[in-house]
Amino acid sequence: MSLSSKDLATTPGPTAPAKAPNQHLRRNPPIAGEAEAIQKAQAGDGASFEILYALHKRRVYSLCLRMLGNVAEAEDLTQEAFLQLYRKIATFRGDSAFSTWLHRLAVNVVLMHLRKKGLPQVSLEETLEPSQEDGPRKDIGARDLTLSGSVDRVTLERAIENLPPGYRLVFVLHDVEGYEHNEIAGMLECSIGNSKSQLHKARMKLRDLLKSGQRKEAVL
Amino acid sequence: MNNARKAANGTTADCAVFQEQLPSLFESNEDLSAQEHLKTCNNCSALVRDLEYIAQQAKLLLPIHDPSPEVWENIQTALRKEPTRAK
Repeated sequence: MSLSSKDLATTPGPTAPAKAPNQHLRRNPPIAGEAEAIQKAQAGDGASFEILYALHKRRVYSLCLRMLGNVAEAEDLTQEAFLQLYRKIATFRGDSAFSTWLHRLAVNVVLMHLRKKGLPQVSLEETLEPSQEDGPRKDIGARDLTLSGSVDRVTLERAIENLPPGYRLVFVLHDVEGYEHNEIAGMLECSIGNSKSQLHKARMKLRDLLKSGQRKEAVL
Repeated sequence: MNNARKAANGTTADCAVFQEQLPSLFESNEDLSAQEHLKTCNNCSALVRDLEYIAQQAKLLLPIHDPSPEVWENIQTALRKEPTRAK
């Protein structure tokens, strides 16, 4: 990956907190010692920056991994996100929770990466559509199995990994990370309606994947 | 009564109409169990239950993955090349 100091314009901006901060608070509880570490890191203290890395590496990496579905890319972009953090931390003003701000920075790093790769799902909304064979069927019925109460975390994580990239992005941003459709539409440069539609298709596809997994288990 | 005629997979034309509306119904946050169609359609009831369950379970997914130690080593190496910030 490039370690160029070129400004990738990935910072959320000191005056642009997340539009729905409460939505993110469930995942952003205050962390003891964080405020002091931020202050010192803003002044250039390397040890404090390391503390911030230790506090947030799991969340940033998990986000990258879920959005990308690829360990090597997720590690590269975690690295890039923290380098961006180092360069931009002085602009953090505390208008939103630090973790919300860092999280948005990491999302932007991933989206920038996807745009550079030329993946269509973050540029043209009509190409958000996965191919027909990737998409969910209209309704597979529920005559054999229902999912309720039967899906563990590992199974769900694996099913999310297997979603087509366009579906996975919207699903992870909305259902896992708690972003609103208007925020996602802004990030992905698509319409709000398109974000809603992609989310629904992603859930339908996940249902397909989870049910087919259950059928295989039932056969074994 | 064409709408009530079931296809081989147990769905009806009403199901297709209902499922077309599902994305906006989910976003409206209204109680879907009050939908007339769901009172008589087991397939769509199960579909709604499953989609709600998936959304609920996704919200419970926590960040559990850790990057390898090499990530921090690479960051440190890169930071050494960064211009020093004024303290």
